[in-house]
Amino acid sequence: MGYLRETELGLSFPSFAAVREQLGFVPNVLRAQTLLPRVIDAEARILATILFHDQALSRIQKERIALTVAVASRNQYCATLHDQMLSLLGAPEISPAETALLDFALKLGLHGPFISKEDVTGLFEHGWNDESVLEAVLVTALACFLCTLSTGVGAVPDFERKQIPAGNPLHFQVPEASSGPYLRAVELSPDRFAPFVFFRENFGFIPNLYRAQTLRPDVLGAEAGAIGAVLLTEDVLTRVQKERILLAVSAANLNTYCVAVHSEILRVIGVSTENSAQAAADHHLLNFASKLATRPSETGREDIELLRQHGFAEEQILEAVVMTALTNFLNTLQMGLGVNPDFAPDRVFRPTLFEKEHLLAADQRHTNEALVVDPDAEPVARVQAGDLDAFEVLINRHSQRVYRTLVGILGNPEEARDAMQDTFLKAFQHLGDFQGRSKFSTWVVSIASNTGLQRLRERKHTESLDDDGPESEESFRPRQIRAWTDDPEQLYVKSEMRSLVESSVMKLPGKYRVVLVLRDMEQLSTEEAAAALGLGIPALKARLLRGRLMLREALAPHFTGGVMGVPS
Amino acid sequence: MTEIGNYLEGDVAAEVRQQLENHLSHCQTCQVLYDSTRKTLKIVTDSGSFDLPDAALKPITAKIMARIRNP
Repeated sequence: MGYLRETELGLSFPSFAAVREQLGFVPNVLRAQTLLPRVIDAEARILATILFHDQALSRIQKERIALTVAVASRNQYCATLHDQMLSLLGAPEISPAETALLDFALKLGLHGPFISKEDVTGLFEHGWNDESVLEAVLVTALACFLCTLSTGVGAVPDFERKQIPAGNPLHFQVPEASSGPYLRAVELSPDRFAPFVFFRENFGFIPNLYRAQTLRPDVLGAEAGAIGAVLLTEDVLTRVQKERILLAVSAANLNTYCVAVHSEILRVIGVSTENSAQAAADHHLLNFASKLATRPSETGREDIELLRQHGFAEEQILEAVVMTALTNFLNTLQMGLGVNPDFAPDRVFRPTLFEKEHLLAADQRHTNEALVVDPDAEPVARVQAGDLDAFEVLINRHSQRVYRTLVGILGNPEEARDAMQDTFLKAFQHLGDFQGRSKFSTWVVSIASNTGLQRLRERKHTESLDDDGPESEESFRPRQIRAWTDDPEQLYVKSEMRSLVESSVMKLPGKYRVVLVLRDMEQLSTEEAAAALGLGIPALKARLLRGRLMLREALAPHFTGGVMGVPS
Repeated sequence: MTEIGNYLEGDVAAEVRQQLENHLSHCQTCQVLYDSTRKTLKIVTDSGSFDLPDAALKPITAKIMARIRNP
């Protein structure tokens, strides 16, 4: 599950049905947004027009661009998704022209302000035409959109996590200010072409950003739909709040164009861009959006929690995530297309030379080796450098995880608390050996797991977690097959639900309990959980399924449709 | 059963997924099993079970930090 609450839209929700028809499943990044179906509709349309079909670029070429951007952004969710897509589509050799296209996408996706007309001219020299470059820009922008979105909602990978290789630092020259637009466009009637009519009605003019994409009227339609569904709505966040997010994120992305356009739009709709009381209240929202857009690897569940603490509702947080992703999409489009400002900007944002680690070599692009994105790298490094206080940060971040692991193994809260101390002390003693080959969180959970298993072995009358025979699925037959109520979580208050789950989990045999705790409560990947317990993957999967079914059996009497929804 | 387990994990090939979803739309028993197992998972994940309250956590953290500072 992601960071935000989800609701059930059902298999028949049309946008889910449409996506499933293309992909064979509904990605978790969409499932994580069920609080705002209008947003999912808009995204499904964007996905369909930009990604799903062979057009100037083939579907495979598009997925490769998306994978390249995801890998370079170190976005586990998207890398896993696009990698899976490519493995289903089959992947022919990458031609030199495609390599050039991927290099362009990489630069645009990660270092957009450094793109200049020469980059696009280079693609023409490789034989790409205006239509294919436009699609490459669109797919790159979409990849950025999906990376931001999946990070913001905390989407859980749809497939087994792929680990991604670390890359080399890359330098770009600061480009001369070059004029665009870089690509050919055609005339479309501002009075008859519906998306243009829409932009004029809502913005007062047709921004050059959209005039630059007229080779793909269908995409313009989908973009107008997304603007309408995400930016212009007022029911969750206000239009002004969303315009402010757009401004803050565009400024953080050094996108002079979008800052100028939306400053003008704010003036037109009568809002001062000066600080105001509302702006002060939205301070946390804007900080969050800028961080998510520019430092995704540092953004996590804590940031969402902080917004909650400042009074933002689930829907509002979700909309802020989507708005941030949409801004990254628009900023990337503008930079890739070299769109000229519609208004003289008050302020020009220019990149300075900087260096950022990511992939460069073509042979590294599609490998499945390890990249570990570790949000704890900074406190870990501080502790390793002798700053003991930073260890408290690590304890605070991981105590619940360690505790749950230990409860899962030991089945006893008292003993788990005690073992938690041992775990962190061991982690501290061995932190010098920790080299970041896995995430700190995985590492500390495996220490917890070893500590717990050690204690279990030392117990006089042992409850063994060891295998006591093959995990035969035939040996467990579900007995409760009455349908459950639609929204079982509504039947009990949170504390009742919690104690119900805790007591049911505690009654599971240890070997199933621990797997369930690590996978479903801790959300470790199958590999991580298997490694932590020293089990093979098939054994882990078998125990997990069995554990879930047993738990289902135990909970069923509480949730099968009793009279009037009252649990029997 | 194993396939339903994999399906819950999002770990089935597209065509198997399609077949499963077809089957689920016809077979009442499997549908109930899948639906209730999925709900079980959601309940487990959302329940916040085995969260250690702050009040219990603070003294443990303090003890660990004390042991680290004065070994």
